[in-house]
Amino acid sequence: MIVPEVVPAITVSLFLPALYVGLLVGFIALLGISFQKKDLHALILTDIVGVGMLIIVAAVGTDLAEALILPGLVVQLAEIMAISEILMSREMRKTGKKVSFMPMPLKMNMEILKTAPNFLSLVLIVYGIFLTGFTGGAVAGVGILFYALSRKSRGLPFKLWEGVSGISGVAWCIWLAGFLILFVTPEIWLLGLLMSSFGILLKVASKMGLIGVLGREEIKRD
Amino acid sequence: MLEMQIWFYTGCALVILGTIGTVIGPGVKDPIVRILNTEIPAVGVSLIFLSYNHVLALLTFIAATVIITLILLRAVVRLEEMGAEV
Repeated sequence: MIVPEVVPAITVSLFLPALYVGLLVGFIALLGISFQKKDLHALILTDIVGVGMLIIVAAVGTDLAEALILPGLVVQLAEIMAISEILMSREMRKTGKKVSFMPMPLKMNMEILKTAPNFLSLVLIVYGIFLTGFTGGAVAGVGILFYALSRKSRGLPFKLWEGVSGISGVAWCIWLAGFLILFVTPEIWLLGLLMSSFGILLKVASKMGLIGVLGREEIKRD
Repeated sequence: MLEMQIWFYTGCALVILGTIGTVIGPGVKDPIVRILNTEIPAVGVSLIFLSYNHVLALLTFIAATVIITLILLRAVVRLEEMGAEV
């Protein structure tokens, strides 16, 4: 038997329908992309192909599925962000027009954006460090991002952002070493667990350095 | 108490209908309509995650969908400001 005993029967019974739905959705979306001539529409349909991928991964139905969905989502997000930037910069080069970096329907000139960020981002970062792991990294990253976005007018410390990107790489190595310890010497599992959880915390939180790099590009343009 | 399969198959139906709607639905020549149509498969996937008890994946998926919608809307608005064919 390929399926282990721990998988509940209902998950096994739902595997084939979920697989077929995922394949069907992916097929329809890819067909739509192949008939599409405009790049932006193809990019939107890529989102739907990601949905098909998520259903197939979710059909595995155990903690393994959850562990595989999270990186899938992050990769999809990064991919759509990168391709939309490429589309916009290509069009900008073609027409030679300059447009606002972040088009907003309202003037975001509120008093709370000047006074609140220090406290709110501190709360978010402390709570994120308390949580640790992937979720904690996301919470702390939102705190950093909120601080960076609301303080955009005063200019970001770019040297600091480059350092943050470096920390991201080092944290990735700590995460991998923690996993290696779990498998190679299981006696010191606590050390491995803490290394990997704090490594992924730093890694996810410092991913927001990407936004800082985008901000730098914008200020160079001005 | 409703059976768990009801939520699963409702999610599957929403995903398939939403995908067809996004690809060949009415008014999809407008990119904003197409972006709004992608929300229907997103709700379907949320139901499927819910029926499998993938809480963490569900929360991350909701956050990622919101961010993806914002990114796509920003791309549409900027491309239209440049006067490009969208």
